Amino acid sequence: MQITRSTGDPGAGAYIQIRGQNTITGSNQPLIVVDGVPVSNSSLGGGVDGVVQQSRLNDINPSDIADIQILKGAAAAAIWGTRAANGVIMITTKKGKKGLNIEFSSSLSLDYVNREFQKQDKFGQGVNGNWAANNALSWGDRIADRSGSDSFNTSGAKFVSEDGSVQYPITHKGDQTTYNQSNRDQVFRTGVTWNNNLSISSASEKGSVYFSASDWNQSGVLAGNSDYRRTTGRLNFDYNVNDNLKLSMKNTLAKVFSNRVQMGSNLNGLYLGYLRTPADFDNSDYFGTYYNAAGVGTMNSHRGYRNYLGSAAPTYNNPGWTLNKQVNTSDVTRFIVTPELQYKWLENSTFIARVGYDQSTDRRITYFPYRSAASTSTGSFGDNFITESELSMHLINQSTHKISDKISMDATLGYLYTDRNFFQIGGSAINFIITDQDRYGFFNSTNDNMTPFNSISRVLNDRYYGMFDFDYDDKIFLQLATAAEASSTFADRFWSPSASLSYEFTKDMKIPTLSYGKLRASWGRVGVAPPAYITGTNYVSAGSASGWGELLDASYFGGSIYRSTTSGNPNIRPEIKQEMEIGADLKFLNNKISVGATYYSNTINDIILATAVPASTGFTNKWLNAGTISNSGFELDWNIKLIENQDFTWNLYGNIGTNKNIVEDLNGSKSIFLAGFTGVSSRAVEGESMGALWGGKWKRDESGKLLLDADGFPQPDAEEGVLGDPNPTWKGGFGTSVSYKGLSLNVLFEACQGNQMWGGTYGVLNYFGVSKETGEEITMTADQGTTIKDYYGMTAADWVAPNDDGTYTVRGKLEDFGGGNVWLNQGWYTTNGGGFGPVGEQFIYDASWFRLRELSIRYDLPQTVLRALHVPGATIGFTGRNLALWTNVEGLDPETNLTGVSNGRGLDYFNNPGTKSYMFSLSIKI
Amino acid sequence: MKRYSILISAALSITLLFNACKKDMTDINATNPNQFSGSEGRLMITGAELANVLLNEGEAARMAGIFSGYFTGADRQYLSLQQYSYGAGDFDNIWGTLYAEGVAQCRLIKSQAAASNDLVLHSVAAITEANLLLTASGLWGDIPQSEACNDNVAMPKYDKMDDVHTYCISLLDEAIKHTAGSSAHSGAYAGGHDWSQVANTLKARALLRKGDYAGAAAAAANGVEAGKDLIANHTADVPGAWNLYFDFCYWNRGGYMTCENSYLSTLLDGDSANTAKRHNAKTDEDARFAYYYASGTPDNYSSRDPNYLDGIFASYSGYTLVGYVENQLILAECASRSNDDDKALEHLNNVRTYNAAMFAEGKYDAYEIADFGPGKMIDGTDASKALLKEILTEKYASMFGQIESYCDLRRTKNAIGVPANSGTEIPARFLYPQSEINANDNVPKDQLDKFLPLTYFQ
Repeated sequence: MQITRSTGDPGAGAYIQIRGQNTITGSNQPLIVVDGVPVSNSSLGGGVDGVVQQSRLNDINPSDIADIQILKGAAAAAIWGTRAANGVIMITTKKGKKGLNIEFSSSLSLDYVNREFQKQDKFGQGVNGNWAANNALSWGDRIADRSGSDSFNTSGAKFVSEDGSVQYPITHKGDQTTYNQSNRDQVFRTGVTWNNNLSISSASEKGSVYFSASDWNQSGVLAGNSDYRRTTGRLNFDYNVNDNLKLSMKNTLAKVFSNRVQMGSNLNGLYLGYLRTPADFDNSDYFGTYYNAAGVGTMNSHRGYRNYLGSAAPTYNNPGWTLNKQVNTSDVTRFIVTPELQYKWLENSTFIARVGYDQSTDRRITYFPYRSAASTSTGSFGDNFITESELSMHLINQSTHKISDKISMDATLGYLYTDRNFFQIGGSAINFIITDQDRYGFFNSTNDNMTPFNSISRVLNDRYYGMFDFDYDDKIFLQLATAAEASSTFADRFWSPSASLSYEFTKDMKIPTLSYGKLRASWGRVGVAPPAYITGTNYVSAGSASGWGELLDASYFGGSIYRSTTSGNPNIRPEIKQEMEIGADLKFLNNKISVGATYYSNTINDIILATAVPASTGFTNKWLNAGTISNSGFELDWNIKLIENQDFTWNLYGNIGTNKNIVEDLNGSKSIFLAGFTGVSSRAVEGESMGALWGGKWKRDESGKLLLDADGFPQPDAEEGVLGDPNPTWKGGFGTSVSYKGLSLNVLFEACQGNQMWGGTYGVLNYFGVSKETGEEITMTADQGTTIKDYYGMTAADWVAPNDDGTYTVRGKLEDFGGGNVWLNQGWYTTNGGGFGPVGEQFIYDASWFRLRELSIRYDLPQTVLRALHVPGATIGFTGRNLALWTNVEGLDPETNLTGVSNGRGLDYFNNPGTKSYMFSLSIKI
Repeated sequence: MKRYSILISAALSITLLFNACKKDMTDINATNPNQFSGSEGRLMITGAELANVLLNEGEAARMAGIFSGYFTGADRQYLSLQQYSYGAGDFDNIWGTLYAEGVAQCRLIKSQAAASNDLVLHSVAAITEANLLLTASGLWGDIPQSEACNDNVAMPKYDKMDDVHTYCISLLDEAIKHTAGSSAHSGAYAGGHDWSQVANTLKARALLRKGDYAGAAAAAANGVEAGKDLIANHTADVPGAWNLYFDFCYWNRGGYMTCENSYLSTLLDGDSANTAKRHNAKTDEDARFAYYYASGTPDNYSSRDPNYLDGIFASYSGYTLVGYVENQLILAECASRSNDDDKALEHLNNVRTYNAAMFAEGKYDAYEIADFGPGKMIDGTDASKALLKEILTEKYASMFGQIESYCDLRRTKNAIGVPANSGTEIPARFLYPQSEINANDNVPKDQLDKFLPLTYFQ
């Protein structure tokens, strides 16, 4: 199983993948089942810009969890149906235990950014080797060559910041101070999380009760409006009315409030404004009053390196503005209730009726004050209220039958009905009337500048299933299951059969050193329901946009409703997944060594895709059952008990998994866009792994040699192609746990190898001349200085005067692409050699990593101390997460993904950074 | 008994719950509650027209403008464009606009209009379709037409450039019959035009590309009159309705595209060192220069930006798609090429009169034949050649930002001498989009070279 946090933002959604990708544009996320009812694990939102949204899975208080079970194979679908095709995560919450148990635990976690980009500090803002105010680039002058200090024109316009410091127009740049460190410190801080949890539980023969309350209060590592606070309450109880009838109820309520920070390809995003800032620009005064030449002041002005007097909104936000002035809140209320009745109506037969209701509401506010960068410079406000609910009803009858002396059978017959609803309503407003008061309401815009929206979706599902578990002599186990499912999104009831067989062969044969051995095999087939509303072609409000943001919206031209560019398909069928697996569980040397091994392979046919079709067909996309993908892999886990006695235990454990995913067929499409940019994207490409990185390449001859231009520079190819694979060849974890009396230590390393990523940020920092690489200087010989050309066709001698010895010292580096040295400088990095050029190939990196995922130490206080404290138990602990990371990727934790929990993988473009944390905890039983 | 009463009450409570909660599954998702499943032609036409505006005023026009010496790619991806470094992926979006938002809608509207015998609506959709396809064929040459936007064809074939033009002319001929004096169904436009005149000028544009000067002149004779231009309407002055050059150059992608050192600006700049600059005893281009370019304010990104503040590309400024000036200069060129210099001069002077009114601070005195020739005000090897070059140059200067200028440059083998930004040639064509290469086997594989001339421009 692979779990990837999108970013280090508090509460950020995590991408969970069990055994490879199973679909292309649908969700690859597993079904989450809590206490027997399916619940939402949605992460709504997640494009190439905006904020990282939370996953609703995070609403569950981890302290309430008693057990997590992961059902991997398609056989899991027997009960849970089409939504289980990606596997099931079964979570069981705690029950009361005998007596009265009160436990209080508290932890403090300190979080730090774990990887940062290095920036050059040798060259200033500007272009062509000259300092230039407000310029986007850092291709300016050599800072060390400056003399004197800055001179200002103090007679005209100026900017006065909040703290009274004044900025005047610079007439001469003489100051050599650089600000990389202070600009960095403006953006990052130590994240602090307080987590308090109280639980009370009790049980008797009549029933049990478990109560908990928790509060998670986190401020993120980004030094501004980045926080997450989750407060939960839970009450689980069950009551045995008599020997046969049992009633139970599980309730939980969560309130989550958080502030998020804009990121990604977004002129209002944090990293974009921060990382592009030149070394010689001080970001600290970002908010104040701009006075024009006539002395007229404009309050609430925004100063950034693209407009250092704050005369208008800068082209990019100052990071201080992004962090402190913009507001992106999410206010979630969620409850899940699960009443259940169990009745043993025959000696061998129990009937269970269970209802689950999971509802969450999320109010999201997006607020860009007046003078935020770019299209939000006249203010932008959005309010979005989202309600999701899922009602499920589950009827089950479980019975046990003795067929003969040696054969018994457990039968489960069930019916599951679910009703999922999604509703959102909201609006956006732009062009604020009052510009200097922050109000999160629509009244600050005229009617023309408001856009309301709403949408609903409802999907019903029901399924009948039967599961029969045969047991022969407690050594051979056979499970046969079948289900018939119907969904409101497709017409015909769909059958999914599965079978699994296991044999504990050590019961029949004695093999030396082998204390336990089991072989298992299973096969299953499951359908995946199509999404709602794709059978028809919609007619939508007309509007045309380019990829650059400019658009024509028909609502300003009297309105127009025309045919959508995506074609519906009335004949859409469910996707069909088939999976087989074989495996063995072995224990050696008196169970000291246990090993589990599994090989699986699955094929998913009829994948539903909004397939990109040639625009000349009149549509850009069409919904089709268009694809086939397959996964095969090998999973191995082990546990070795090196030492095991009363006081001292020492285990080595680990797991390793490979998954080979191939997109077998896309029905004629060469590739399908999943996420990313026009330049580089993550796609499904026939014959490649899902999520393959795709974009512009260098022009090459048939032998793969670069085709160079006359000066020796490589040239972009007219056609795009596959650049890399974001999927690892293997992943694994290796750990050891040691305990001695009350002290225990656990160390876990994780590895992910063979995956690639697109370093979009790095490429763009090259473009801007901000990256470390672009700050290099070289000295060319007199000969080189007059012959080696840069991308402009100029030589060093055209740019600078020679040194005293006739050599030339210039910015940039020499590179031989195969046609002799060429000089890489501004000309190269701002065109084909930079992140905005057409060639993504050069920024594909090996993103393999190896990390110390967790180091934890726990100490159960000894009885002597407990007696003194008058408590029955107490534990103190330390947990470090992500403490060390080994990777070749520069500047960021490769375990990141720009497009959140989407199927597009391996993209980095000004993502918010990942974190490492140190957590100290205390837990007391009262 | 108790056992059964519990069982019965359990069953009963579940039945109650079930009936309350359970809804009939059939039809729940049959209709999308968030979208319509159909529309009417008269409501669709504005959308198709906006696609036409986006095609002619948006990304394609900016790229053509960079190739034509109108604009200078100055930042990010536009720096690469400036060096003629572009790939198939850069055109996916444009074809989505062209076909899915444009041609396909026009054809749906036409079939609805035909069913209801609404000849005017049918004609407006046909003119819009012809405008879209003519622009596209001028950029790519061979493009899908006969099998395009047909639900039964997954891989439309590519029709020859000449066949596409013939088809468009037939659309226009039919539309001309039903639209005299009409400006109906013009949601995207400022109004005041006459559809039949627009269709005639479009037809003249098509025939001129083909080199059919007599045909072009005949069509242009009934083309757009002064004051009756087809103008994309941006007067609402809100995002979503803005002039697209303003939207791109100022609002969304400030600094990406300027006019620094652009060839046209050196022709119009009175202080320019360009010896071909247009100022002479009868001509003062300062006012036009000021209308075209802006610099020196805090809202500018470079020392010479396209004038998106208060000039040609202001947020509220309309954008001419088919106009009087182009029509007059087609007439002028056709006359010149038919050796009727007097007539050519007459049409050129019509434009100068128009300019004099448009740019009141400037000077556009009427030329005489005597002004042309070796060593004359308009220099050239002979008067006729000098006159033709002046007609082409005036057209180039008048149609700032328009795609058709890029067609004119390639058609005339760059007679007015716009320098290449990189190398010696300006690109001969746009590339077929990656989305077509990926999934349409009919893409002409022998036409993927950006320096391969289009059939008409060989």
